[in-house]
Order: sequence, then C-alpha cells, then structure tokens
Amino acid sequence: MVLAIDVRQITKIYDGKIRALDGVDLEVNAADVFALLGPNGSGKTTLMRILTTQFRPTSGEAYSFGIDIIRNDAWVRKMIGYVPQETSVWTDISGFENLLIYSKIYGVPSSRRKKSISDALQIMGLEEMADGLVKKYSGGMVRRLEIACALLVKPKILFLDEPTIGLDPSARKAVWENLIFFKNEYGTTIFFNTHYMDEADLYSDHIAIIKRGKIVKSGTVNDLKHSLHSEVLLLDLKSHALDETALTDIRALDCVRDVVVSDSELRVFIDDADTALPKIMETLWRKGISIKKITTTRPTLDDVFLNYAGSITAVRKHSPQNAKGAPAWD
Amino acid sequence: MTFFNSLREMFAMIELELRRLRHDRTEIYTRAVQPILWLTVYGTVMSHVRDIPTNGIPYIDYITPGVLLQSTIFVSVFYGLTIVWERETGILKRLLVAPASRYATVIGRAVASGVRAVVQALIIFPVAILLGVKFISNPTYIAAAFLMLFMISGGFAALSIFVASLMKTRERFMGIGQAMIMPLFFASNALYPIKLMPPILQSIAFFNPLTYAVDAVRGLMISGDVANIPADFLAVIVFDILIFAVASISFRKIIE
Ligand SMILES: Nc1ncnc2c1ncn2[C@@H]1O[C@H](COP(=O)(O)OP(=O)(O)O)[C@@H](O)[C@H]1O
Ligand SMILES: [Mg+2]
Repeated sequence: MVLAIDVRQITKIYDGKIRALDGVDLEVNAADVFALLGPNGSGKTTLMRILTTQFRPTSGEAYSFGIDIIRNDAWVRKMIGYVPQETSVWTDISGFENLLIYSKIYGVPSSRRKKSISDALQIMGLEEMADGLVKKYSGGMVRRLEIACALLVKPKILFLDEPTIGLDPSARKAVWENLIFFKNEYGTTIFFNTHYMDEADLYSDHIAIIKRGKIVKSGTVNDLKHSLHSEVLLLDLKSHALDETALTDIRALDCVRDVVVSDSELRVFIDDADTALPKIMETLWRKGISIKKITTTRPTLDDVFLNYAGSITAVRKHSPQNAKGAPAWD
Repeated sequence: MTFFNSLREMFAMIELELRRLRHDRTEIYTRAVQPILWLTVYGTVMSHVRDIPTNGIPYIDYITPGVLLQSTIFVSVFYGLTIVWERETGILKRLLVAPASRYATVIGRAVASGVRAVVQALIIFPVAILLGVKFISNPTYIAAAFLMLFMISGGFAALSIFVASLMKTRERFMGIGQAMIMPLFFASNALYPIKLMPPILQSIAFFNPLTYAVDAVRGLMISGDVANIPADFLAVIVFDILIFAVASISFRKIIE
C-alpha cells in the first residue's frame, strides 16, 4: 500500500545554524489521522512547511502518495489542503467571501463553486454565520472557517498545524467533530501538529513524538502506552523542596525505570508496584520527605510523552522555587 | 497551466481588494482628506505666488496631477504593510500552498493595490472638479491618465513589497514608508517644475519614476500637451518590469 507521507532523513538548518529538524523519518498511512506531538520549538511547523512545499529541506527526501514533494511541488500542491497555525482568513470580509476568494485561488471551476462552498460550510457547521464579517467570529468559528477553506478542493491530505491552539474545550470538540465527520465522508488523510496530548490521544490513529528535531517514538496510541511496560506511581509530596540526592537515590533503585518531577508531584515508572512502593517510601523517609498522597495508574499518553520527550519541568529548572534552595535537576 | 492559475490568483486578489473596500469605505474617505487639503490650502495659497512658471496654468490645476499621484502612491506604498501583516498571520503561508506561481502572489497583490489606488483617485477627481480645476474633456486622455495612475501605483506597491521583504516588523516598515514617500514627492515635478530645483534634486528627479508619471498625467488631464507621453509610459513600464522582478525574487525572504 502506498504511503500518504513518507519522510526520509529530513534535515532543516535555518540560517546555517539553527538545526530545526535533525534526520526525521516518518511514515503516514493513507486515510489515517496522524498526530505529530511535541513541545514548542521541537520542529513540528518546520516539518509541516516542508511537507506543504513552502520551502525545501536542507537534506533528505519526502514523498506523498509516491510523488516527490521536493521536486514535484506543483503537483503536490494540487492534492493537499493546509491550515497554518496562525490565522489564514481575511477578517474584514465575510466567511462566505473568504471561501469564494479561496475557491478562485484554488481554481475550483465556476460550475462547481457554489456547491463546493455550501458543502464546506455545511461540513464545518458554519452555514448560519456565512454572511457575517469574520472579525465578529469566535476563535472556534475562525478555525472552522479556515478548515472549510482547505476543504474546497477535497484534498487527499489535510495538513493542520496546531488546529485547536488557544480554543476552549467546547470549541476544540466542535472542530474535531466536524473534522472527523469530513474524514469519514471522504477518506482524507489528516496530518496534524499538536502539543496537546489529549488531542493526540483522542483523535489520532498514529502518533509520532518529536523532540528537538528528532522523532523519538512513533506508533499507535496503544503501542506507545504499552511500550512503557510499566505502571506509574504518582506521589504527591508535602514539600516542594525535593533534593537531588533523593531523586538520584530513587533512580538508582532496581525496580525503578524512570522518574519525572513536576512541581510537588513525583511520577515514578515501575515494573511492579507491590515490590517497588516500600523501597521508594523508605528512600523518601530517609531524606525526611513526607508524602501527601499515593496513586498508582496505568501509563497515560502524558506518561508516554514525559518519558520520551522529557518533562516540562526539566525546561523550567530555574523556577523561583528551585532558586530558593533545592538544587536544579534535569 | 501555472500561467492560468496565476492569472486566476491575480483576479481573485483584485476581487478581494474590491470586496474589502465595499465593507469598509471609511479608509478611502479618510485617505482623501489629506490630498484635498493639499489642493485647497496649499494650492490656493501658492497660486498667489506668481513666480512659479506653470505655462499659464492655474497653480491649483498644475499640482492636481501630483496630488492625485501622491494619494495613490501613499496607498500602494502602505500596501507592503499588508504583506508584512499577512506574514505575521498565516495568509501568506497559505497562498504559497495554492496551485498558482509564487510570482502571481507578488504581482497579484501589487496589481490589486493598483486597483485600490485608482479607486482612491476616483474619489479625489470630482472634488478637484468642484474646486474649479479644469480637466481636458477628452475621455480617452482621462482614461489614459488613470491607466498611468494604475501602472505607477502597481510599481510602487511592488517596491513596497520589496522593502517589506527586508523588514521584519511592522513598526520598522512604517518608519521606512514615511521616509520614502515625502522625498519622492518633493524630488519630482509634482509641486514645481524641475528647472526650479537645485541640481542635486534635479538629478534625483530624473531617476524618480514619479516625475514621468506626473508629466504624463499632467499632459493628459490638464495641459493637453502629449508630446512626452510615449516616453513617460516607456519609463514607467521599465520601472514596473524592473521592480516586479526584484520584488518577486526577494519574496523568497518573506517566506522563510
Ligand atoms: N523562519 C525561521 N527562521 C529561523 N529559525 C526558525 C524559523 N522557524 C522556526 N525556527 C526555529 O526552528 C525551531 C523549530 O521551530 P518550529 O518548527 O516552529 O517548532 P514547533 O512548531 O514545534 O513549535 C525553533 O528553534 C525555532 O526557533
Ligand atoms: Mg509550530
């Protein structure tokens, strides 16, 4: 079966110094919903802009349904839809007029224009507001209009860069319900970037986790969760001042696979809670750290993400509470 | 194929401008205030200074072409601002992913700005008539004058896209935009004949495309002296071709 996207060793270096992508390999099956999950600055947008032919990678190859994205860019542009992260509609005209202008830019024949526009409006649930000025729309409506503009040509692949960034939960849900409806109707492949783990968890068939321009893990959501082979112990600590030696001691325990700290919460990845828990408690007590609450869970996608892409606290190691006394950790 | 796609994008861009104008006409009116003040205040005051040799044309009539051009060029130069703004939003990224050629995006935007500029001139035109400016009553001449307004505005829009590609922020662009327009205006024959200028200004005026545009519009609309028209159009066409090429090439910088 031909892959919707096949990326081989893509590297992108901006201005001869910023290595935004560092040997990315990626495969996306046709008719899948694929999530590229990663923290800010990890290279998601850069990869999407290369895949949508906006500029060329520094090295590497990429194919879409067997067509060379880098050399046959004009051809590829005819079969993709793209919604960038930033606003991409004109706000001083109506939603309908945006669709009209985009349908002309994309070359939808005039005989089919009316139907394409009303289909797109209907799919994204925008019929009622079509004639209002876009500057009066809510954030969720603007996003749905942007997606509607990309649906005018019934693309084979739809690229969405952080489609629900900045939207409230109900607006996010509306965006995705409309998208899934469209996907089921037309069998379009959807490739989206996100840093929301729940979004990747809920809506994607496959996920790849990207970190500093490298894919660190990919597979189905379940594959990823199983790959941790572990349970997660959630320890809610009484004090914020967790010193580094305690952390090192816990890491050193045989039964512990990994430890991630966020604020006063300790997430310990273990094989078996029954044997590991007593040892961990003992270590903490010896350091004089008391525990408020203990929970055991199966790994969530958050755990997968934390495990492969690193904790968010790792970046915030100069936060004030650390400055007060506890040494920084990484 | 790409050619037709590009042509289509250009027309879509013109349509976009007209639709924007329909929704918000205030900008056109507010932008008309300044040129009308030029005509009424400056024009009237200076017409009492008998020293400016205008070949017997009333001074207010003499500067009308210049004022028309100034207001249209103002529109097109600030058009580059739209492009900078669109870079900050996702519109430019999206246009790049459309089937048209990249150059169509540049040329389309510039041409659309030319259309907008002509609409601007159409607002000032009747006001000038009310102020007593006597235009040549030959419709072909007037149409040719508007064609010139359109061509020079498109060229300046392309110039402004080029400048925008060098600027990273809107604020910086605003500064450059201001700094660009006034000298252009003064170093041309818009307000007084070139032979009154100091030699340095004269040579700047010689390379200033605005000079040729003013000369053509003045010939076609006011004096009826069309001897220089072919040369004026040629100069502006050369300017347009050069600046469209430069803007299209530098457009890559806006993308990345
Ligand atoms: N146009 C650009 N010029 C220079 N550096 C850039 C540019 N775009 C992105 N970068 C850098 O490349 C890295 C990856 O950015 P990006 O692809 O936008 O990540 P993400 O979308 O995951 O947040 C970041 O370090 C960013 O600063
Ligand atoms: Mg991004």
